[in-house]
Amino acid sequence: MTEHMVSKVAETLFEASRTGVPCAPVKDLLPAGALDLAYAAQEINTARGLAAGRRLVGRKIGLTSVAVQRQLGVNQPDYGMLFDDMAVPDGWEIAPGRLLQPKVEAEVAFVMERDLDEERLTIADVLRAIAFALPAIEVVDSRIADWKIGILDTIADNASSGLYVLGACPKTLDGLDLRAMGMVMETGGEPVSVGAGAACLGDPLSAVLWLAKTMARVGRPLKAGDTVLSGALGPMAPVTRGDVFEARIEGLGSVRAAFGKDDAK
Amino acid sequence: MNTLAQCAAVVDEAARTATAIPQFTESGPLGVEEAYAIQALSMERRFARGETLAGIKMGLTSRAKMVQVGVAEVIWGRLTNVMRLEEGGALSKRRYVHPRIEPELAFIMKRELCGAVSPAEALSAVEAIAPAMEIIDSRYRDFKFALPDVIADNSSSSGFVVGPWGRPDQDFSNLGIAMEVDGRVVQLGSTAAILGHPLRSLVAAARAAAAIGGLKPGWIVLAGGATAAHPLSVGQHVRTRVQNLGSVSIKVGE
Repeated sequence: MTEHMVSKVAETLFEASRTGVPCAPVKDLLPAGALDLAYAAQEINTARGLAAGRRLVGRKIGLTSVAVQRQLGVNQPDYGMLFDDMAVPDGWEIAPGRLLQPKVEAEVAFVMERDLDEERLTIADVLRAIAFALPAIEVVDSRIADWKIGILDTIADNASSGLYVLGACPKTLDGLDLRAMGMVMETGGEPVSVGAGAACLGDPLSAVLWLAKTMARVGRPLKAGDTVLSGALGPMAPVTRGDVFEARIEGLGSVRAAFGKDDAK
Repeated sequence: MNTLAQCAAVVDEAARTATAIPQFTESGPLGVEEAYAIQALSMERRFARGETLAGIKMGLTSRAKMVQVGVAEVIWGRLTNVMRLEEGGALSKRRYVHPRIEPELAFIMKRELCGAVSPAEALSAVEAIAPAMEIIDSRYRDFKFALPDVIADNSSSSGFVVGPWGRPDQDFSNLGIAMEVDGRVVQLGSTAAILGHPLRSLVAAARAAAAIGGLKPGWIVLAGGATAAHPLSVGQHVRTRVQNLGSVSIKVGE
């Protein structure tokens, strides 16, 4: 019975993604609070993507702000998978048809130097395992109509992931105070999201530690070369066709996400 | 309707005795120009008691702030020597009605600056920048007011504390800000929240200060709150850290 419901959730979200038509919330298909079942639904679509030839290139961490956790009634972040076809080069135009209802968040991204297969990890292991950091814009998206999501919806829906853009000027961690960094994301000369490094679970590196332990536990450990989107440094901003967003993280650099105006290729 | 001088006396007395008053706009229309006239007259009463002008503060310069108050224009108020609080010291909460605190970036002026100026001209008149905090305290009952009420009430400015001197020839357009109460972060943001760049606030300050003869050497200009304000309670220790600039702190006493 449970198995059937989990695959129903996965199927519903997959269809919404395939057809581009958002679906109703899926949380009612699962018992309240069944985070493990929501992750099981996510895993079905991860396996389906891998079987179809998509390459797993990283993970994203969601719900890293205490305010957002409170809003969704949880006290932990969540995770989703990053595939190769979700990566957009800095500043390249994103065709509107690729997304259902996009929003943007500015984040610190890390690229891993070593595997983290152990579940028992400390911040020292994480620091040693990171090759470099980059500024990133995550284009989040929801397969659930009007973003009416609960915690189970977003977990099952690959943590509401869409696309992501990485800056192209890597920085090693030496001397980087990620907690202190100011962040501003602008479009049309207006700051639409402002924040600081500490907005991500107190420190983006703490978020990566949580992720690395969790990934080792669930059997998809972080590997050398993986990208980690560590979580938003400020509020999500809505996207209108034609918008070009630039996120600047003081000390880390900048990155741009450009949204196309027209559907035509 | 009271005369402007009567309104000034009311708001001055409310600030002096930390007593809440009803808003002026409840009893009749009040324009922004008149509100600034009331502010000027009420501050004259303070100067007559020996206070001296120490600078100006800019208000409603961040989106968070505009959302909080529900308006969309920059306002300003006056800072006096009596409003300056000692860095690392304690403020006396009973001197305020319902005080809140917010993180700020402060400019310390090296040269006079007046009227329409470019960002480059504004920057060349700056001696130093510093992390700072402002105590805002509306004298109106229940923190309820319209924009002209706020302006008449010295744009809610009630105290300020300035941290260590920093060089102005660094990029301070997007410095991370964290305000902590008793070691826990309560507000996070960036100097970019101040009109996109705090220097724009100084340009606006020079324009506003033309009405009082311009910004003077040695004055402090508070560029505007970078996050929402946080309410103060007795016993708190409040610290604001600004990326690359250091920190500023104050305790909340009885």
